[in-house]
Amino acid sequence: MRRLRLLSLSAILSIIPASLLASAALEGRVELPKSRSAPVQAKRYEIVTKAGVLSTQPPLAVVYLDGNFPRPASFPIKELAQKDLTFARALLPIEVGTRVEFPNLDDTYHNIFSYSPTKRFDLGRYRPEERPIPSVVFDKPGLVTLRCDIHEHMRGLILVLSTPYFVMTDTAGRFRLDKLPSGRYMLKAWIDSRTTREKPVELKDGQTLHVDLP
Amino acid sequence: MRAPDETRSKEVRSFRARLFTAIMVIVATLTALGFYLAQRKITADAERNLQETFKTELSSMHELEELRHATLADRCNVLAEKPRIHAAIEDDAIDLLYPSAKDELRGLMEGDEPPPEQAARSLHARFYRFLDSTGAVIKPPNASDVGELDAKTEAQLSLNRLPDTKQIGYVQSGGDIHEVIAVPIFSTDTGDLVSALVIGFKPFQLEDKPTGMQSGIWVGGNLHLPALPTSALSSLNEKITRAATDSESDQNYFRVDVGGAPQLLFYKLLNPGSLFPPAYEICVHPIAPWTAQLNRLRWQIGGAGALLLLGGFVASHFVALRMSAPLKKLALDSEENRAERERAEAALATTAEELERSTRYSADASHQLKSPVTVLRVGLETLLEREDFKPEVYEHLSGLLHQTHRLTGVIDDLLLLSRVDAGHLQIASAPVNLSQLVDEWLDDLGALPDSPDVKIEKEFPSGLFVAGEKRYTSLIVQNLLENARKYNRPGGRIRVGAQGKGNHVVLTIGNTGRTIPRGENIFERFHHRSTPSVVSGHGIGLNLARELARLHGGELRLVRSENDWTEFEVRFSVANGVNPAA
Repeated sequence: MRRLRLLSLSAILSIIPASLLASAALEGRVELPKSRSAPVQAKRYEIVTKAGVLSTQPPLAVVYLDGNFPRPASFPIKELAQKDLTFARALLPIEVGTRVEFPNLDDTYHNIFSYSPTKRFDLGRYRPEERPIPSVVFDKPGLVTLRCDIHEHMRGLILVLSTPYFVMTDTAGRFRLDKLPSGRYMLKAWIDSRTTREKPVELKDGQTLHVDLP
Repeated sequence: MRAPDETRSKEVRSFRARLFTAIMVIVATLTALGFYLAQRKITADAERNLQETFKTELSSMHELEELRHATLADRCNVLAEKPRIHAAIEDDAIDLLYPSAKDELRGLMEGDEPPPEQAARSLHARFYRFLDSTGAVIKPPNASDVGELDAKTEAQLSLNRLPDTKQIGYVQSGGDIHEVIAVPIFSTDTGDLVSALVIGFKPFQLEDKPTGMQSGIWVGGNLHLPALPTSALSSLNEKITRAATDSESDQNYFRVDVGGAPQLLFYKLLNPGSLFPPAYEICVHPIAPWTAQLNRLRWQIGGAGALLLLGGFVASHFVALRMSAPLKKLALDSEENRAERERAEAALATTAEELERSTRYSADASHQLKSPVTVLRVGLETLLEREDFKPEVYEHLSGLLHQTHRLTGVIDDLLLLSRVDAGHLQIASAPVNLSQLVDEWLDDLGALPDSPDVKIEKEFPSGLFVAGEKRYTSLIVQNLLENARKYNRPGGRIRVGAQGKGNHVVLTIGNTGRTIPRGENIFERFHHRSTPSVVSGHGIGLNLARELARLHGGELRLVRSENDWTEFEVRFSVANGVNPAA
């Protein structure tokens, strides 16, 4: 009987993929600042600053697990396009070392640059047909403000994180992180350029932890 | 007639002289006043014209300046909007601020300074600096890129706070002046004031005008007016400093002496309300040509005034002549009038004198007459007292004595009449009991020795008072009663009646006897009846009675005289408040 139980357990374990076996999950809700205006139907988010604090409008948060994780050998290339004289996404979280391409989907010049201490770069003026697509590797964690030298109203944010485990909340603040390694970590939520909330978590394999960041 | 003629012409001459003087004084005063007013107006006009010229020149210059400021401000605003400059300030990349601005401001900074005549259209900048959030200058990493300034000059660019609007200022750098314009930089994200861009230019200089106007700038207690010698500058600077600090108005002008030459100095605040120290535009204009012109004008007006005075002199002479001509005629006319008047006055005086003399004569005569009559009477009375005459002598003597009494009566009447005529008789009016008076006289009448046999009828109330003097009232009554007795017939009658009628008391005395013929004026003085009569009066009794009645405000008249009945009526004024209503 005891053997049968073991067998059945091994059978179950053999069915579940190994990665899943070694993973935990986190879900919860981040209390987001009140939106200044009712969320419109537009999917696009814009960057707003209030008293020099950059955030998205409507408010969104980036939830990530902070810790020392092994760095992968290569990173997927991310893309942040400029379309209709604005950035396709207002806020782009990436892992340190990620290359971001800035394709120009407009029928005009753009000149993406950043004077942010995290990453200073200047892509110069380029047209949509510019090849290769201008890109930048972000090699330091921090927040990068993207501007266009030609279109002064354009603003974009790239949050460079030193973790592969991050996700953006929905507008209600809900999030879910999967395939997390077990262990003790700090769960952080970036809300705006001045506000990051955190909470220690202990993840166990196969468990889904519910954490709210008020 | 020679002497009055001469006097008259002398008077006319003197009048003419006075008239001439008066007109001359008026003309001279008016001329002087006109001269004064004209000169004042000319001075004021000239000063205003000069001011207008100044203002026009200044305003045209200031319009250009404003235009340049507006263009500069526009340019600066565009620069301040540049994303790289904003990125450098807002994204914490101050080290990239000046390098970023260098590219943006290259157009302004490059090239040489334009010549002064193109300065208005030129936007060549000498230097630029950014201010941090406290208003202090952000040090440029490489001064040669942004226009080199010594530390003292650079310090003048700092403000005690960031300006939220365009600011104009002037800073001194050695012997030179820079005009600076500061524009605010607002964060494109938050709208907050984050910085300011200060750009320095060569000050806008007024071109040299043919009028000789020279312009400069006064700032921070120093005057920059390169056209003037330094020796003149210090004293001028002092005056401007005083005017700028004392005066409440932003612009004004005053006179100054520059190297002995009078000048008009205008000053105008260039940057009112600026955070930079106040700077004044200074314009100096030599007024020597203007004063010369003014003096010429004064001389012209003076000459015109003198001519006017001369004209006035001649005109007033003629006017005086014309005006004195009627006066001369008037003087002649009045001389004739005067002679005529004198004649009339002399005639009047003669008449009055004659009148006076006659009155006096009448009075004198009465007095002169009375004395011999008295002597005569006394003599006759003495003779009557003797007892050694025959009886018929006594009869004669008695007759003579009676005549002297009559004579005394006539003289008394004459005396009274003369006083009435002379107007010397004063009535001391008092209530007189007329009833009592008549009664007394009637009693006396009955007691008279030669009383004819007449019947007396009385018909009046007792206590009837009239206004008058008792002795004259009595005289009236006596005269009438005596007449009534005297002219009666034997067996006749006398009727006396009295009654109040309104304001008067009417006394009627009637008697039987011979009537008075119609048309005979019995009230005439010394009247004698045309018909012979056994009795006759001296002819002044009725006249006197009537005069007295009139003096008392009353009247005496003959009511009727017919059918053996003659009736007189005397009207007296009623004594106020004494008589009961009739």
